[in-house]
Amino acid sequence: MTGRAHRGAVLLLLISSAAQAAPAPGERISFVSCPIVRDTRTVPCWLAEYDGETYYLTIQTDVSAPVTPPMLGHLVLVEGVVSDAPRICGGIVLEPVRLSVMPEIDANCNTLLPADERYTIDFNPRPPGPSAGRLAFAPNPSGQPEPRPALEGPQTVDVYFDFDRGVSFRHPSDLMSIVRIARDLPARRVRITGVRGAHLLSDGTLLRESAGVGQRRAEEVARLLRGAGLEVEPEIDWIDGEAEADGIDDWRSRRVTVVLFPD
Amino acid sequence: MNRSINLCVFLLACTATTLLMAETPSRSAEKLREWWWPPGDGRVFPAYVEYDNELGRLGIVNANGPIETAGHPFFEPLGTNGRACVSCHQPADGMSLSVASIRQIWEATNGTDPIFAPIDGMNCPNLPPGDPASHSLLLERGLFRIALPWPPIGDDGQPIEPEFTLEVVRDPTGCNTDPVYGIDGERREISVYRRPRPAANLRYVVSTRFGVSPFIGKTGMLAAVDPETGLPVNMNMMADAREPTLKTQAQSAARTHMEVAKPLTPEQLEKIREFELQLYAAQVYSNGAGRLDEPDGPSGLGPRALERGQDGVLGNNTTRYVIPMENKWANLPEGDTPEERERNAFRESVQRGHDVFFFRTFWIRDAMHINTVGLGNPAKRTCATCHGMHMTGMDTANGWMDLGTTNHPWALEPPEDPWAKKLPELPLFKITCREDLPPHPFYGRVIYTQDPGRALISGKCEDVGAIVMQQFRGLAARAPYFSNGSAATLRELVDFYDRRFNMRLTEQERIDLVNFLSVL
Repeated sequence: MTGRAHRGAVLLLLISSAAQAAPAPGERISFVSCPIVRDTRTVPCWLAEYDGETYYLTIQTDVSAPVTPPMLGHLVLVEGVVSDAPRICGGIVLEPVRLSVMPEIDANCNTLLPADERYTIDFNPRPPGPSAGRLAFAPNPSGQPEPRPALEGPQTVDVYFDFDRGVSFRHPSDLMSIVRIARDLPARRVRITGVRGAHLLSDGTLLRESAGVGQRRAEEVARLLRGAGLEVEPEIDWIDGEAEADGIDDWRSRRVTVVLFPD
Repeated sequence: MNRSINLCVFLLACTATTLLMAETPSRSAEKLREWWWPPGDGRVFPAYVEYDNELGRLGIVNANGPIETAGHPFFEPLGTNGRACVSCHQPADGMSLSVASIRQIWEATNGTDPIFAPIDGMNCPNLPPGDPASHSLLLERGLFRIALPWPPIGDDGQPIEPEFTLEVVRDPTGCNTDPVYGIDGERREISVYRRPRPAANLRYVVSTRFGVSPFIGKTGMLAAVDPETGLPVNMNMMADAREPTLKTQAQSAARTHMEVAKPLTPEQLEKIREFELQLYAAQVYSNGAGRLDEPDGPSGLGPRALERGQDGVLGNNTTRYVIPMENKWANLPEGDTPEERERNAFRESVQRGHDVFFFRTFWIRDAMHINTVGLGNPAKRTCATCHGMHMTGMDTANGWMDLGTTNHPWALEPPEDPWAKKLPELPLFKITCREDLPPHPFYGRVIYTQDPGRALISGKCEDVGAIVMQQFRGLAARAPYFSNGSAATLRELVDFYDRRFNMRLTEQERIDLVNFLSVL
């Protein structure tokens, strides 16, 4: 390597590492990585490393939170937008962020870092022990039921899933809202379409869910809605082909779409 | 296989006999009549009664007043084997049945009491009755045989296709490989061994005021419904949540445990339900702490507190608390007499134990249906995270989770070594989950378990070893603990959690936790 070429390589490396160190706010980022737990004096925070950088995913909250922490012992699929907020627990904040625990066990994902005085998290929304009396993200602290809007015409509800997974703890409220809409409309016809999702990761990898997951999701949602009192026999359909992705909100592709028709 | 099973049975017999000889009953066998309720006894069940136990006294409030037990379906032997509901739900044992009582009744009746009926009071019905070896799990650990259909049968009466295959790896009772009672036998049953749960404080246990909807909060699956109303239930009553209501449980228990010739009538079921809902049981006097229901004492202790309390309230917060104590026993005066000093020291220990239970964090890790419901794995939380319901310390609906009490590698098993004096007593099953479905998130696709728990009803891989949490009340009256009776004492219970979750409890914290649990 000549001196000139060497200087050029060093320059490229510098540019490259500068880019890695500071992804631009607003940049979409998507990767699969081991989650990392960083303990603090209060609640732990969850991080992940990708391409030489550490990203902050979320803190430990409770089941009512819009983003819930991933799991050690499993890879996590991270889809987020780089924020310009100050780093939390040493990680670049992704906001919004979508996390999906990958189903297979990965024993390599086992990093639990001790508390470090540099990183502090306050007690909001809740401490690691008992709360102050309500769920951290309870949307309606008054406890009064929210008024239901009048429904006109066909209603569409999208139910989103973790990667390669079916119905889980995330779904009771979605399923309940479908049951309510079916009663309130009232629905004369219901179409349930399960979709196999795909993800374009930041490194260019295309990640597809398992073949057949769209059908499994549609049939599972139909079975559950029937069991909860859906009075019309739903039409079931699925899209299980070679799913494509463009790297923008690809999590929306892992879904079941329920359309309820009043006539 | 048969030879090794015979050896196991022989060794169990030796162990059981030794235990029977060594046991010192806490209650006098001579005064059996005062604390044991045989079926058809005919006494009046009073509005309030107290019973001695090793750690003090249990109080039972019969909230709607005294009842005549003569002719009452809870107390009468309705089945063919002489048992009544009260046989296994004894008032002195907090409406459960302690192993100490079982041993005393064995001695007093020479093993002829109906609780030792072959159908489930023996390790397997094919064994010779009356031989301690045949009843070793009941005599040693207070375990009754629970025979469940395999594969499971759904609510619609149709078989459920399980997500896993099940093999018998170890069969010390001989029942799971038996040509009649075994999994591949004539009856197509799987036998697991469980403790009877308390038939008291059930207003709390079956409450639908919190977390009950048509969909199970932890899984999104369908909740069971009350067949009379069509409404969802909380599925928090039985170890595997297989019965939705007190009435269906009574009907099922009459069929299986009491071997009734014909189903209970609607009137009988209603009387049982009413009686069970009016009972409140809790420790009311502690040998260490003294009276637990003093007017100016902690408001959550004693059976009257349960009678007054509100069911279906989440207590994992600093507004309601799981067991309200209001710091009443913190920083007590030293006391003027040695007795007062001792009592106040114990009370302060109870208060500290409460605080450990409520505020002392540790990493809850790899526990199915807790780390998988949005808390993350691990979650830095406290005992009250899972044991969060006000007054009982149960989990919110639907309360099954896998704490490792029955699954390897956490379940208590005697060490495997050539010098072992004690052999494993419980069966061991190998569960292999289907390749085309997601694996169990913490065990993968192969799980070894003593009792698959909820999975025997749901057929789901993720439910293997998941057991519905029990209430905390009246613990002093009904050892041993956990569904498989694996913790003989409260100390063993606390030690299990310390090992399972690497809590790193200090000796003082352990003592304080035990003292706290002992006054509930």
